[in-house]
Amino acid sequence: MSQHLIQVTDLKKHYNRGAIKALDGVSVNIDRGDVMVIIGPSGSGKSTFLRSLNLLEEPTGGSIMFDGIDITKKKTRNADGKLVKVDIDQHRQKMGMVFQHFNLFPHMTILDNMTLAPIQVKHMNRAAAEEKALNLLARVGLQDRAGAYPIQLSGGQKQRVAIVRALAMEPEVMLFDEPTSALDPEMVGEVLDVMKELAAEGMTMVVVTHEMGFAREVGNRVLFMADGKLLEEGTPEDIFTNPQHPRLQDFLSKVL
Amino acid sequence: MFTAAGFAKTWEYITLFKQGLICTVALSLLTVIFGFILALVLAVMRLSDIRPLRFLALTPDGHLREQGFLTLLSRFNPVSFLATVYVEIFRATPMLVQLFIIYYVVLGDVDFPSYKLFGFIRFDRFVPGVVALAMNSGAYLSEIIRAGIQSIDGGQTEAARSLGLSQVQNMRFIILPQAIKNILPPIANEFVTIIKESSICYTIGVQEIMYAVTSTKGATYRIAEPLVVATVVYFCLTFPTSKIIAYFERRMSVGDKRNGGDGKPKKARMKIRQASILRSQGGPEGFSFHAGGEKEE
Ligand SMILES: Nc1ncnc2c1ncn2[C@@H]1O[C@H](COP(=O)(O)OP(=O)(O)OP(=O)(O)O)[C@@H](O)[C@H]1O
Ligand SMILES: [Mg+2]
Repeated sequence: MSQHLIQVTDLKKHYNRGAIKALDGVSVNIDRGDVMVIIGPSGSGKSTFLRSLNLLEEPTGGSIMFDGIDITKKKTRNADGKLVKVDIDQHRQKMGMVFQHFNLFPHMTILDNMTLAPIQVKHMNRAAAEEKALNLLARVGLQDRAGAYPIQLSGGQKQRVAIVRALAMEPEVMLFDEPTSALDPEMVGEVLDVMKELAAEGMTMVVVTHEMGFAREVGNRVLFMADGKLLEEGTPEDIFTNPQHPRLQDFLSKVL
Repeated sequence: MFTAAGFAKTWEYITLFKQGLICTVALSLLTVIFGFILALVLAVMRLSDIRPLRFLALTPDGHLREQGFLTLLSRFNPVSFLATVYVEIFRATPMLVQLFIIYYVVLGDVDFPSYKLFGFIRFDRFVPGVVALAMNSGAYLSEIIRAGIQSIDGGQTEAARSLGLSQVQNMRFIILPQAIKNILPPIANEFVTIIKESSICYTIGVQEIMYAVTSTKGATYRIAEPLVVATVVYFCLTFPTSKIIAYFERRMSVGDKRNGGDGKPKKARMKIRQASILRSQGGPEGFSFHAGGEKEE
C-alpha cells in the first residue's frame, strides 16, 4: 500500500484520561535505510514514541503501518479482505530494540542471550544459531566473551552484546533508546562506533540520543520533539545550523 | 509440676512421639509440595492477562478507547479475580475453621479406604489434614511466588518481548528462572511454619506430635511432661531447618554481591520476605515484631 517501511499517523498516547499527553499526534514516515535521530528535552515523549513503534506501549490513538499492516489494531483485513488477528510477536521480531540499561538476561551466558530468540522464536537449530551468534560477536570484538555472564562485562561490552543480540533476529529496523546514556564516558565511543557501522551497512535505525555529534554525523534525518509533539524535522544540517522553532533553538543552546 | 516419675511414665509412650514426628514431617512435606503446586497455579492465574471483555475497549475500527466505563469493564479478568478471592478468603479466616470445614463438610461424606500410611497414620484423617493445610498454605505461597515474579525488573520482559518471545516463553525462559532464586528461601521458611501449624491437625485426629501429647495425657494423667517432650521434638525439627535455610539464603545473596549484582536482588528479596512475613509471624528468624503488619504492595 505504501512505499514507506513504517508510516506513523497522528499517533497518540494519553495517560490518566488524557491529562498527560505523552504523545500528542505524531506523524512521520520512516523509509528503508533511514537513520532517524530523535532529540528533545526530558519528558517530551521520545521514549514513548520509540516504544510505541514495537508496541511496548499501546497507543491510544493513531496508526502505525509496518510492512503494510496497521499494528496498533488488534485485527486487520488480510489480502482476501478477511478479518485476522494481528500477531504482534511476529512484528516485534522484525524490530530490534536496544535499551538504555542493556536488559541482558543475567542468568544466561552471552551466547545463550544471543541464541535464545533465534532458537525459540525462529526455530533455528542450535548449531546454526550459535555460529551466527559467534560471527556477530566477532564483529563487535567480543567473540572470546561468548561463555561469560553479563555481570562479568563492562557497560560498553554489555551494550554491544545487546545490539548484536537484537541483530541475531535479523530485524528490518533497529530501535535505540538512549543506548549510551547509562555508560561511563570512555565507553560511549565503542558503542557509537558499532552503531555507525550498522548505519553504514544500510540498516534502518531510529535512535533516541543526547549525543548530538552522532545525530549530526550519522543521522540522515533529525526529529525534534517537545511536549509529545513533533515540532521540527529535517536533515542534521537544517536542525543544527538553521533551527526554526524557538523551542528547538532554546534546546540546542542548552545542549550544544 | 514436673516430676521424674512423670517423665518416666511419658517415656513409656515415646513410640507415640516417634510416630508423631514421622506424621508431622510427612504432613508438612506433602503440604508444601501440594501447596506449592496450588500456589503456582494461583500466581499464574493472578498474573494472567485474560480479559474476555477486552473488545469493549476497542472502537468499531479496532482502536483502543481512551477512557471511560467500557475501558474499566474491559480490564476485568475473571481468572485473576477468582484466584484473588480464593487467596483473600484463605488468608482472612482462621486455619481451624478451614480445617473443620474441609474435614467435616467438604470431605465429610467421602469414604476413605481404611489404609494406614506407614502402618499407623489413618488415611481418613491424614488426607483431609493435608488438603486443608495445602489449601491454606497455597494461598500464602502464591503471594510469595507473585512477589518473586514481580520483583524481576520489567526491562527483562521488555527485552524478551522485543525479541519476539511470547508471554509464555518470557515466563518460562526469562522470568521464572530468575524468580525462583528469590522464591526458594521463603518457601523453605514456609515449610518451617507449616511444621508448627500442622499441630492443629490433632483436632481432627491426625496422629502428629500434639496427638501424641493428648494420647499420653489420657493414659498417664500427666500433661506437663508430654508437652515438654513435644516442645523439644518441635524445636529439634524447626530450629536446625531454619538455620540451614538461613545459611543457604546468605550464601545465595553473597553470590549476588560477588557477581556485582546491582543491589536489586537484595531489595527484591526483602519485598518477597514481606509477603512471607504475613504468615511466619514469630517465624524462625525473629519476625515476631512484625506481627500484625498484614500489609503488602
Ligand atoms: N506510565 C505512565 N504514566 C503516566 N505518565 C507517563 C507514563 N509513562 C510516561 N509518562 C509521561 O509521558 C511523558 C513522556 O515520557 P517519555 O519517557 O516518553 O519522555 P522522554 O522524552 O523519553 O524523556 P527522557 O529524555 O527523560 O527519557 C512524560 O511526561 C512522562 O511523565
Ligand atoms: Mg526516555
